[in-house]
Amino acid sequence: MLVLVGSAAVCLGTGEVEARSAVGEAEQRVNACYMAAAEAQKARANVTDLLLVLDDAGMLLCKAHLALEKGDFDSAYALAVESRAKLDGFDVEANALRDSASQARSMDFAVNVVGSGVGSVMVVVVAFVVWRLSKKEYPAPEGGV
Amino acid sequence: MDVQKYGVTYWSVVAVVALLVASPVLSRMLVWPRTEFFTELWILGADGRAENYPFNISRGSEYRIRLGIGNHLGYCAYYLVEVKFRNETQSRPDSFGPVENRSPSSLEPLLNITAFVADEGFWEFPLKFYFDYDVDAEKTQVTVQSLTLNDIVLSLDGHAAWSSTRSMFLGNMMFELWIYDSASRFFSYHGRFVDLKLNMTVV
Repeated sequence: MLVLVGSAAVCLGTGEVEARSAVGEAEQRVNACYMAAAEAQKARANVTDLLLVLDDAGMLLCKAHLALEKGDFDSAYALAVESRAKLDGFDVEANALRDSASQARSMDFAVNVVGSGVGSVMVVVVAFVVWRLSKKEYPAPEGGV
Repeated sequence: MDVQKYGVTYWSVVAVVALLVASPVLSRMLVWPRTEFFTELWILGADGRAENYPFNISRGSEYRIRLGIGNHLGYCAYYLVEVKFRNETQSRPDSFGPVENRSPSSLEPLLNITAFVADEGFWEFPLKFYFDYDVDAEKTQVTVQSLTLNDIVLSLDGHAAWSSTRSMFLGNMMFELWIYDSASRFFSYHGRFVDLKLNMTVV
């Protein structure tokens, strides 16, 4: 019975409701992945590859919308499913890029900012100590001779 | 060595060394903040230059352009380009006034093109198009049937027929820029568009 119903569904093609639902889900997925990419870039990650994937998924979604408007529900459904498939694992990758960029920034802050700040203070302190030691070792002559 | 003999030189060298060591900190602190945030939108000709734009077009002949977006908004942006087509009597987007107050054309888009552009990044998209149109026997009116854009056939049935003005059958292919607002989760018009003026030649 289930096989017969499934076959009937295939013969009848994708309905408008399924097609619209698939396109809606694909749209939500694209939006969510964009937010993940935006967060990754906020953390200074290189998101070039992620955006190329999003561009492909976005184009498929546009074509799905167009097919929907034309009443070609089979194509709309297929394109929407393909768009979602393109974004499999996207947010995992985006989050990984965001986290590694955040870690790199923390390391950079610790080494470069804190390190160089402390280092420049140390340079001045050491120079001052050397100056004071030199003053003790070579006191200024009395009488001006 | 009595450094006190060379006091000025000594402290000058110390200052230079300290500045060199502090340069990573200073390069982060002494950065002029960005004050201008904007988006660029452009069309280039087939050879990637701002020249040789298609103008006199023939039915069925293919023409190529490049559509580009530059993002200087300070964040990764999600753009939507609405492709529209109008004649001289139909609605066009605003060209004047503050960008944030401009309105798009009221025409329905023929096609939407999405673009995801990183901050300080650029996006360029090649477009090829051709029109299918008919002219009446008296050559006083042109009816545009379809626009094929990157192998996607876009029906223009129902668009107003063209009328001859200035001895030309003028059409206007527009690319309006919209931007996704992550707070409202909707696209809003970004106040920018580019267009191609086309003379649909008849023989």
